[in-house]
Amino acid sequence: MNFLEKIRGGEDGIVVLGSHPRIMQSMLDFDYLSGKKEPSIVAIVTGARKAHKCFWGRKEILIPCYAKASMVPATIAPRVRWMLNVQSGRRAYESTVAFFDAFPEALGGHIFAENVPEKHATELISRYGGSKLIAGPSGVGLFVARHLKLGAIGGIDTTQILSSKLTTEGSVAVVSTSGGMTNELVHGVAASGKAVSFAFTIGGDRFPITSLSQVLALAEADPQTKALAYFGELGGEDEYEIVELLKSGRFTKPVIAYIAGIIDEAFDEHMQFGHAKALVARKDESARAKREALRAAGAIAPDTFPEFLAAFQDTRGGDIVASMGNADELKGRQASILSTRQITDTENAPNYVKDGKLAAQTDSFTAQILSALLGRKPKSATTIAFADAAFSLLIDHGGAVSGAVNTMITARAGKDMVSSLASGLLTVGPRFGGAINEGAKNWLTGAKSGMSAKEYVEAETKAGRLILGIGHKKYRVGIPDPRVAALSQFATLLKVHPHYDFAREVEEVTTAKSGSLILNVDGVIAALFIDILVECEGFTEAQIKELIDAEFFNAFFIIPRSVGFIAHFLEQKQNDEGLFRLPEELLFTRKPDA
Amino acid sequence: MSRVKLTEYRAKKILLGDEYQGSAATRTHMPSLSDGSYVAKVDQGIKKRMKQGLVALNVAPAGVDKHFVEWEKKGFSNFIIEPMLAHEASEERYVSFERVRDGIRVLFAREGGIEIEEHPEKVETLVMRGADDASVVSEKTGIPEAFLKTVLKAFDEDFFAFLEINPLVVKEGAAHLLDAAVLVDSAAQFFAKSWGASDIVKARAKHPAEEAVEALAATTPASLKLNVIDPESSLFFLLSSGGGSIVIADEAELRGVGKEIGNYGEYSGGPTREETYLYAKEVIGLMLGSKKKKKALVIAGGVANFTDVKTTFGGIIDALSEKSEELKEQSVKVYVRRGGPNEAAGLALMRAFLEKTGLLGAVYGSESVITSAVDDAIDYLKS
Repeated sequence: MNFLEKIRGGEDGIVVLGSHPRIMQSMLDFDYLSGKKEPSIVAIVTGARKAHKCFWGRKEILIPCYAKASMVPATIAPRVRWMLNVQSGRRAYESTVAFFDAFPEALGGHIFAENVPEKHATELISRYGGSKLIAGPSGVGLFVARHLKLGAIGGIDTTQILSSKLTTEGSVAVVSTSGGMTNELVHGVAASGKAVSFAFTIGGDRFPITSLSQVLALAEADPQTKALAYFGELGGEDEYEIVELLKSGRFTKPVIAYIAGIIDEAFDEHMQFGHAKALVARKDESARAKREALRAAGAIAPDTFPEFLAAFQDTRGGDIVASMGNADELKGRQASILSTRQITDTENAPNYVKDGKLAAQTDSFTAQILSALLGRKPKSATTIAFADAAFSLLIDHGGAVSGAVNTMITARAGKDMVSSLASGLLTVGPRFGGAINEGAKNWLTGAKSGMSAKEYVEAETKAGRLILGIGHKKYRVGIPDPRVAALSQFATLLKVHPHYDFAREVEEVTTAKSGSLILNVDGVIAALFIDILVECEGFTEAQIKELIDAEFFNAFFIIPRSVGFIAHFLEQKQNDEGLFRLPEELLFTRKPDA
Repeated sequence: MSRVKLTEYRAKKILLGDEYQGSAATRTHMPSLSDGSYVAKVDQGIKKRMKQGLVALNVAPAGVDKHFVEWEKKGFSNFIIEPMLAHEASEERYVSFERVRDGIRVLFAREGGIEIEEHPEKVETLVMRGADDASVVSEKTGIPEAFLKTVLKAFDEDFFAFLEINPLVVKEGAAHLLDAAVLVDSAAQFFAKSWGASDIVKARAKHPAEEAVEALAATTPASLKLNVIDPESSLFFLLSSGGGSIVIADEAELRGVGKEIGNYGEYSGGPTREETYLYAKEVIGLMLGSKKKKKALVIAGGVANFTDVKTTFGGIIDALSEKSEELKEQSVKVYVRRGGPNEAAGLALMRAFLEKTGLLGAVYGSESVITSAVDDAIDYLKS
């Protein structure tokens, strides 16, 4: 399989496992400066959030996040070709397997972690070593000039991306065991007036998934690559693979190599250098032996690093210069706090009065509130009418309820409107007013659980939970709540209403226990609102769940009830009765023991 | 990350389970021994113990301590005691296992013993892909197949990287491990069930600066390493990036001052300013301890992929400024070459600091060759 051809053909969709914001941003900057129309990163697998914000040029974009690779939706999945795994060494194996299970057609990836156990690496080799292109474990990844940057390779700031000519298609392939030296070599190639065709970090681990000889085969088959720059270290026998390929004529392009580790000869005993395999165990793994073997096979393998860099200039092949972006454009970017909603159009106000007469308005106040809450205009008149009904019914339930009491007491203590309103609103919670959202959660999970209403009620009772949305202090079977009856009529406007049906079935079970356990106004709003959002607004179950997680449904209590609290506040200020004090007889005081 | 030695005691305990008759010992923790003949050995991952006199054969329980006292004088503290097993040289076998790319590579020989390294022609090689291959090795060596399978199972489940049994004595169809050396994969410590950090051999007494860096490294995802080579030297390193640091050290060796290197190591993987400060402090302390008349500090590395130059240089400057007077008095010059994220700002900061304190040797960025700083430092030391 010719990976490079596919990458240059645009197969560049990347899923990032774990999160490394600076590396991800550098990949998007590379894409942008390379003139791509779309970012290469299409999804992030992390449990921590729903979206990650990055820059695309100067603009900010959101990359969706999913808890598991298997949850990446079908709208995105077809673009996925590559994995960037930035999880820890402990999690690298299982997350890599989970990725390729979810995307068996993916071409490969990069495992960033050091400390991946050898056994896990060899198991990954037996699974993917022959079929995928995988850089690592460890190292900084791979890049194909102007087409794919997978990892930190080539640097993470825009100055580096341009000074190392990552967006210019060149003719020298760079292959290195060391991440830092990959960058040094890429930089050196650029400084010599050439540019890189592709670069690949094998990684300093003992068992790289894609082996050195596999990468060399890639370079040999690549028409764009005219020469190979290689950085290796003492330890391991990989360089003998190059020697074999050169001797047998399976690698025919010029090889310029530097093998580091001559310093080991100065030490009394072999030292463990930074990378795992850089410990000399046998004589032929020494830097000197490997360098000499490469020379004997026809490679250019200078003694010193400056000589090595100088040798780049002598490689044949000219660069293909492609358009480069402007880094200045990316300077001084300021990340915003994510906010995409603009509720009111301040530039264009409608005509309220026309020709001395009131003008008809296209959007009612409720319709505008719904636009703000949903992030788009409601599609159906039913939705607007239902929200309007819910708002109207929930403005106030009289001065006796907890929130109104707090508002009034605060007002009488001499506080201002906002303090008094806040005091009332802070009372809203699971026992007062916060039941709509909980009710919505009940109906959504209950209706899809496949349980009968009876089983559902039993399970909830067994778990010691109250079913919010059920039960009323005053109304009961025989004395129906007129508001519930009125709202229920909305069901007749719908083709199907499974959540409303489920709520009613639950009511049937609970009222058999006690006549007061009827479907209450919170419960019916929750059930019908879900059914309306699904049928009239095209919401999916997952989107409804997202709304519930964000406590969306409670807005339909808080918004109208704020009006009610303000009304109570105004009344108290107008009457001005002075500081409220609870009458002594209402306090249960414990008398001292006689 | 690397292959580390397991103590012989733990290695044998894993391989033989309850059948193992040996005990771990220190002078303060002696196992109670019944009458009989024993082998006592130093258990600190030392090669060629027999030749160094670190093995005592045929010792009675009362005679063990005498050897321990003698070995303690040589700096050893951990020992192993096993019942003596009399055997013929003809019963000795050699076998070793190593994890390789495509399986487990077995080296084996019908004739074992400590001289095997001088007779590589007697050793056969086979890469085992499964337990079925155990029968082939068993046939050729006479090592019981069941024993080989037990060893392979332990090798795989306990994340062994290398296991050498030499000699392995086969007596009446049973295998006895006279000596066993095991390297485990330190990256697998989290997953391994039968061994932990306390079973890993500490090969030599560590320099306090090395211990401090090791303790620091255990608390960060960044990579911090320090080896003290010779505290009485003139060339000290604050290197970054695994590969680049070798290139820089190579240059010192190529220019004939390899023996002047005081320390080796690296900071990489994006350490914070505070972590870099603590790391640099150890190297600077080490350097101030050297009595050489002229000293150079080389702060160098490749063009970093993601380690922030400004952040890490901030930490190094914090450490240098604490000792800037002493460094100046000791004629220390500082030579810098570094590239990467925030390169320009980091280099400017470093240059300004070194100029102000009179420590400036040279400051280079990614436009210069990686060896520029070390070359200038060597010129200074030679001048």
